[in-house]
Amino acid sequence: MLIIKDLHASVGDKEILKGINLEINAGEVHAIMGPNGSGKSTLASVLAGRDTFTVTSGSMQFKGEDLLPLSPEERAWKGIFLGFQYPIEIPGVSNVNFIKAAVNEHRKRKGLPALSAAEFLKLMREKMAIVEMDSSFSGRGVNVGFSGGEKKRNEIFHMAMLEPDLAILDETDSGLDVDALRIVATGVNQMRTANNATVVITHYQRLLDYIVPDFIHVLYQGRIIKTAGKELALEIEKKGYDWIINAQ
Amino acid sequence: MEENFIYAPSVTSGEFRCRVPLKGARQQFIVNGSVQGGASPFTLEVPEGCLRDEMLQLISVRNADNTAPLSTRQIYRFGKHSSGRILQCFHTFTMDSFETEDRVEIRLEEGAAAEFFILQNEHNKASHRTFYDISLARDASLNMVFVSLHGGRIENNLKVDLCGEHGSCDLGGLYLTDGKQTMINNVELEHYVPECRSNQVFKGILDDEGVARFYGRVKVDRDAQKTEAMQANHNIIISDKARAYSKPQLEIYADDVKCSHGSTLGRLDEEEIFYMRTRGIPEGEARIMQQMAFAWEVLQRISSEELRDRMQSLVEKRLRGEFNNCRNCSKNCC
Repeated sequence: MLIIKDLHASVGDKEILKGINLEINAGEVHAIMGPNGSGKSTLASVLAGRDTFTVTSGSMQFKGEDLLPLSPEERAWKGIFLGFQYPIEIPGVSNVNFIKAAVNEHRKRKGLPALSAAEFLKLMREKMAIVEMDSSFSGRGVNVGFSGGEKKRNEIFHMAMLEPDLAILDETDSGLDVDALRIVATGVNQMRTANNATVVITHYQRLLDYIVPDFIHVLYQGRIIKTAGKELALEIEKKGYDWIINAQ
Repeated sequence: MEENFIYAPSVTSGEFRCRVPLKGARQQFIVNGSVQGGASPFTLEVPEGCLRDEMLQLISVRNADNTAPLSTRQIYRFGKHSSGRILQCFHTFTMDSFETEDRVEIRLEEGAAAEFFILQNEHNKASHRTFYDISLARDASLNMVFVSLHGGRIENNLKVDLCGEHGSCDLGGLYLTDGKQTMINNVELEHYVPECRSNQVFKGILDDEGVARFYGRVKVDRDAQKTEAMQANHNIIISDKARAYSKPQLEIYADDVKCSHGSTLGRLDEEEIFYMRTRGIPEGEARIMQQMAFAWEVLQRISSEELRDRMQSLVEKRLRGEFNNCRNCSKNCC
């Protein structure tokens, strides 16, 4: 589904990603771990098309198509979703109108008509239930006045509405208490199919107790320095990253 | 109880007429300063205790029949414990260089409640100055919202006197500029007596070489204890050449008051825009959505849902660079 080859990306003169190689197939869950400042969030942003980063070399292919020339919205329409570490508040735009606009933009690109009010409401109720959100969230401004946990649940709600092929969840577990973590993880797991893939970026092993990855990659100084199965998370939890870094 | 105001139910053919009146609104036309079917200046006296349900819409237009500088007056008096809603629309119909000056007097007697919604939509060569002289007696309340949609030069001068205790005054303004348009809002608001509140929010979206000026002075007299006064002016600059000048001022002589003022100038938030785009909302739409969200804080102050929806749609069309006309109407007045 996604093939990243020797990806280099910079902010200004500073190179942050220094040759990432990664292949993600349908049906898989990948976890990306690593110490602060290793480039995890940058990788997520570059995949989603944020223009503050410049890709200096390498390639990203998504479902056989080069991602580089595509805008963030075009990538979204192709099926890429980025769940933000810090979801943005948009005062004045209600959550329901926002997600309705987003869903209908996706439908337009698929040649589908916009959803009727009734169809949309039904879909929204169904998807809100996945993350145990009640309808009071829909009328409020996007993420405005939401607690940390509510914001992350809202991200998963957006994901559920848009049904992406590849979801990249950037530190979705940060700032969550155990209950919110369970709700978010259960939501993500419910959406897993043989046809989609998930990348979770996390600092901690605890999220991976709920969302069990097929592969764990350790990112350090802009490179993936180790890839292993789910058991790696436990080892990192016990021993930290030093032993991996030193083994290089 | 009889109301004393002039109303022309049938304007003669050939005269201007709004084709899509709001539900429950009574319309009165003023063409080149002359009140259609009635005497000038336009005067509305709402008698004591009279609660007007229907909105009164004053549509003041200028056309090629008279392009000389013009000064007009409108007088509104709300008697004790009366209430009413007024929609004032100002339009030009031709590209001539109009100079218009409107002096509007608003008197609210004890316990009166009034709302004024003002839509200004004129051509680029039109220069329009308004002078609102407003006073509120005890327990009176006023809610006023200006939507300066389009115009070469629009200048609103407001003088508000809170003369009786427990008076309440809300002033909202939204101004949109592009090309070389200039929009000016000057507010002089004075709290003379204790326990009144005032709240002002003026917001602008400035594109091209548009210029906005906001000057606001809130004066709280020595006797006006327990005053609550807030004033805010926020501007979004879309282009490199647009300019905004803002001068909010508080002058406080009482010592037990709650007052604040603030002013900001910024650009569209790129973080918000990226966030929206990752959800599949195209960049252009994301920018419009953000501007509409910015405008909403002012538009939400319009208490009539139908009017609010219409204004919202006019603002959206304006931001999209489309013609400013109401749905189902081909005239470009709104």
